[in-house]
Amino acid sequence: MKRTALVLTAVLLLSACGSGEPADDRVKLEFFQFKPEAIETFDRIIERFEAAHPGIDVTQNHSPVAESAIRARLVKNDIPDVIALNGNGVFGELASAGVFYDFAAMPGAAGVSPPIQRILDDLGVYRRGERNGLPFSSNASGVIYNKDLFRRHGVEVPTTWSQLVAAAETFRGAGVDPFYVTLADAWTTLPTFNALAANLSPPDFFTRREAGRTTFAEAYPPVAARLGELFGYGQRDRFSRTYDDGNQAFAKGEAAMYLQGSFALPAISGFEPDFDIGTFALPAGEDPSATRLVSGVDVALTMAREPEHPEESLAFVEHLMSPEVMAAYAEEQQAVPPTVDAVSDDPALAGLMPYFERGRLTGYADHHIPLTVPLEQFLQQYVIDGDQAGLLRRLDSEWDKVAARRS
Amino acid sequence: MTTARTFYWMVIPALVLFLIFHTLPVLQGFYYSLTDYPGYGAYEFVGFRNYASLFQDDRILDAYLFTFQFAVVATVLTNAIALAIALGLNARIRFRTTLRGIFFIPNVLAILIVGYIFNYLFANSLPAIAEALGITALSTNILVNPDLAWLGIVLVATWQAVAFNIIIYLAGLQTIPGDVREAATVDGAGSWRQFRSIVFPLIAPFFTINMVLSLKTFLQVFDHIVALTNGGPGTATTSVSLLIYTGGLEGGEYAYQTANAVVYFLVIVAVSVFQLRVLQRREMSA
Repeated sequence: MKRTALVLTAVLLLSACGSGEPADDRVKLEFFQFKPEAIETFDRIIERFEAAHPGIDVTQNHSPVAESAIRARLVKNDIPDVIALNGNGVFGELASAGVFYDFAAMPGAAGVSPPIQRILDDLGVYRRGERNGLPFSSNASGVIYNKDLFRRHGVEVPTTWSQLVAAAETFRGAGVDPFYVTLADAWTTLPTFNALAANLSPPDFFTRREAGRTTFAEAYPPVAARLGELFGYGQRDRFSRTYDDGNQAFAKGEAAMYLQGSFALPAISGFEPDFDIGTFALPAGEDPSATRLVSGVDVALTMAREPEHPEESLAFVEHLMSPEVMAAYAEEQQAVPPTVDAVSDDPALAGLMPYFERGRLTGYADHHIPLTVPLEQFLQQYVIDGDQAGLLRRLDSEWDKVAARRS
Repeated sequence: MTTARTFYWMVIPALVLFLIFHTLPVLQGFYYSLTDYPGYGAYEFVGFRNYASLFQDDRILDAYLFTFQFAVVATVLTNAIALAIALGLNARIRFRTTLRGIFFIPNVLAILIVGYIFNYLFANSLPAIAEALGITALSTNILVNPDLAWLGIVLVATWQAVAFNIIIYLAGLQTIPGDVREAATVDGAGSWRQFRSIVFPLIAPFFTINMVLSLKTFLQVFDHIVALTNGGPGTATTSVSLLIYTGGLEGGEYAYQTANAVVYFLVIVAVSVFQLRVLQRREMSA
């Protein structure tokens, strides 16, 4: 009896294995990407690629917690063939650990604008001169604004800090919330922090900080002060609103401005606002010609250091990096293609395009701060309690502790 | 002989699974805590440097302080409330079985789901109610107040944990023979006197088990915090487990936080042993 049961189980198991799909000798590639809002766009790109390469079958895989997911896959040494990640500090740490391919020899990367490639390389590479990722699309962090509210209250787009504060006062006086602030998600402090840090702190701050020749307490008081001031113009329940709440509320016209990156635009459009959306670079100082726009690599492409199917994976990367695909992606996702002649005719991005055209771009300051320093939590706490000296002291002490642990 | 063999067969598979899925990873973790492994890529052996850094890290100290404060308050509240409800549910009242079922429900709900529902209540419902009643102190979300957020977590944790403790106390109360209490009633002991001198001493072992298990569980608090505050506002509600997770898996300091986990494991063992010994001594003397 027992033996019969065993045999039966074995037969069932075997037949389960055997009855798969008919044999498919196409090379299977896994494409891992982190943007839930771009799934359909990537599906269309893959479809076109497969039509041109009948021997390759690409499967898209996405995770809402992509950075944790990719780490777990790396631990198991099970690396997806082609990977699309946000070009942030995590990307830099992974690249420095030597788990990504070196694209330095790839000719297809030629169309990419050098300053944008540099922003990605600066995050970290395994060895000097390597190129561990390719920028697929760029974003920009500035101010998103409601053109109708600006027109109705006679407010011009501000180009200096004092004009920005005056605009906020005008809206507040008229009973309109100047900014929609979403502090329940601590990271939403970062776009503003980056814009202020890029324009108000010395350009070589992080090199000098690493050498121990300066401190946050010395160089960052203006950044912290203006960050606190701006967030003070947020709506009443700003501490308990999340990023999703913010996109929805801004789309409903509940505030005049929204301190977010261009990556929030598709989400806002999803709520079908009945007004025109505009963007401008956050004017951190009094000289409009000195303002630089914070731009990062929204989607960076990479592959495993030792790919299982090098030829096929490279073919897919080359397809993604072709100017037509990049332009089509950028149009659908309201992003900026990272190519030399980057243009976007999206009216919502028009306010930022001059900065791209003139190359007045700068990277994200927070990417230079080790991930283990809870920067966003510290900023969130500071915006709530207003303790500026405490914020800068904590940043310095965390920085020193991490440096000591890693030396 | 055959019965002994049967018993071995009952024990050994579980032992093997325990060793493979628990003990082995613990030893592996201890090994990684002696390296600078970020979770992927290459690493080097660094000896006890991670442990030395741990003791100079004020974030770790803050997390320990928060976790112990939370765990002690939640343990006391959970046990006091659970014992009171268990006494009520053990008395001869109407709908006793139905009520026992209702009070057990929180235990079968997933903490994450409960947490997200409470998160919504704290963010939207509670402020609206408080505003309507004119209580300004509660008219903003308490989870975004660095001084009050931990109370929100205590509330949810207690609400959820009471259910299980009630069951254990009820089981304990049912071991008390009816004639003991009858004799006490005949001798003229009031209900408080009966509780203090008869009921509580008789269920002391159950009290011990509940206290030890609650404190241990609350010291490992994680899900509640992820669902309610994610460690914020700022770092006000970052528990040790959450810090190990965020620093180790998101912050790229896997080895360093593994060292923290090893130390925390030893701390929890020490606390539990200490607690068991004190409470068992009290059981004897009672």
